[in-house]
Amino acid sequence: MNRWLVGAIAIALGTTSLAAQSLDDLNIQIHGYATQGFLYTTQNNILTTSSSDGSPEWFEAVVNLGAQPTPKLRVGVQARYFLLGNFGNYVSLDWAAADYKFDDRLGVRFGKVKTPSGLFNEIQDIDPSYMWSLLPQSIYPISSRNGNLAHYGGVVYGTVNLQQAGKLEYRAWGGEREIGGDDGYWVSFVESGITLPSGISGPIVGGALHWNTLLRGLMLGASYAHDNAWSGPIVDTYLVPAGPSTGVTITTPGNLLLSKSNTPDFFGRYEKDKVMFAAEYQRLAGNLFFQGVAPAPEDYSIRSWYAMGSYKLTGKLIGGVYVSQDFDRATALGPSRYSKDWTLSGRYDFGQYIYAKAEEHFIDGTSVGYDADLNPHGLKPDTKLTILKIGVSF
Amino acid sequence: MKKIILVFLLAAASLIFTTHAQAQAIIIANPSVKSADVSKNDLRDVFTGAASSLKDGSKVTPVLLKQGGAHEEFLSEFIGKNDTAFRATWQSLVFSGQASMPKSLDSEAAMVEYVARNAGAIGYISKATPHEGVKVLAVR
Repeated sequence: MNRWLVGAIAIALGTTSLAAQSLDDLNIQIHGYATQGFLYTTQNNILTTSSSDGSPEWFEAVVNLGAQPTPKLRVGVQARYFLLGNFGNYVSLDWAAADYKFDDRLGVRFGKVKTPSGLFNEIQDIDPSYMWSLLPQSIYPISSRNGNLAHYGGVVYGTVNLQQAGKLEYRAWGGEREIGGDDGYWVSFVESGITLPSGISGPIVGGALHWNTLLRGLMLGASYAHDNAWSGPIVDTYLVPAGPSTGVTITTPGNLLLSKSNTPDFFGRYEKDKVMFAAEYQRLAGNLFFQGVAPAPEDYSIRSWYAMGSYKLTGKLIGGVYVSQDFDRATALGPSRYSKDWTLSGRYDFGQYIYAKAEEHFIDGTSVGYDADLNPHGLKPDTKLTILKIGVSF
Repeated sequence: MKKIILVFLLAAASLIFTTHAQAQAIIIANPSVKSADVSKNDLRDVFTGAASSLKDGSKVTPVLLKQGGAHEEFLSEFIGKNDTAFRATWQSLVFSGQASMPKSLDSEAAMVEYVARNAGAIGYISKATPHEGVKVLAVR
């Protein structure tokens, strides 16, 4: 409830100055987009879809409402319907915030705000804004997107002109982040009977620097995020399989504790004329501890990276390739310890409002994107994934 | 027959060059903007949402044309992106809550009128379009 209050207060404060102005003065804008995806895999079912049979269960629709009552103040809200296999199928609040920009050197944004970590985090859900159908899953797993995208609190941002050395953009953020009970992180627990009825949440702080160098188009950056210890209630549900109590459901309440974690992230991008290159490296380490229920603590120590490039073939057609890899040093040897994904991608824009995408993934390893229920005969170590997508935006 | 082909080719060439001349874009601003000129880097920053003021401190608000020769010429000459990539940049900002979409106008006459009326407005038109009430910024 407190989180909704933060968003409501941000909007209310931002809109107190709206009343006396005409609609035209307020510069009210409505934008939106919708996408429909189709997935087909040669082996394992992926992202909780029946993709080995071909699955159209990937749909998103977004509506964005914004107003700018004064040159320095903006308010806005964005809602999303998201469906991907067993994920989503409901409307959620992407962000709801008020933004006051004193000048290019200093601005503040508060409410439910996008978390500006890494190279793509702020825009990883904005399909019309990039060529890829799926961003590199090693760092931007779509099944855990909602938990990483935004936080309740604020962001301070600005740009410092370094004169002869280019420009330095800074962002600093703090607040509370929530990972919902249906997030991809928990799929294996949920399928084994452990649910998180109200998700898990905790405080976060972080900062990011983007250095726009004197070489036009070259940006180098780094971000650092610190998550304090988080906790949330869990319920372990067990169906007695045999004996006099066969069929009886036993539920045991408990707690999930997530240790403190620090996430360093380094990235760079070069974009000029028809070409774009980018790369990113991230490290994530910590552990999960279950209080009151059976599973043993789980450690994770994941190194993830990707490198990508794209080329504009014509004004409407763009093609690209990336390689993405993650590797969990805390997991036992085998395909579940890593995932390596070579991807070929293309996008064609029919006009200002409609586009189509096609993408082929060559995935080796099983650490990202799979679940047990839809792969009851076990996971094969490699899979090819084909994605077709069409989108409209306004 | 050769004469007909020659006339046709000359007419086509003339049309192409005329179109190009008409599409040559110039930068216009409200007279409240202090600068008399603007660098390409400043223009690129302002029209991609990376900055809201020019190097001399003048606060400016970008205004766009929805389409047309001047729009294409402006993007190609000063921003270095085509229309698709340019709109994708703004969609990133709008859908992540970082900016509002600049005002987009249907015609160059509407652009001149809007820029003349609104303090800080900066836009672009074809060189041949009448532009009373606005100042033309030289591009460095």
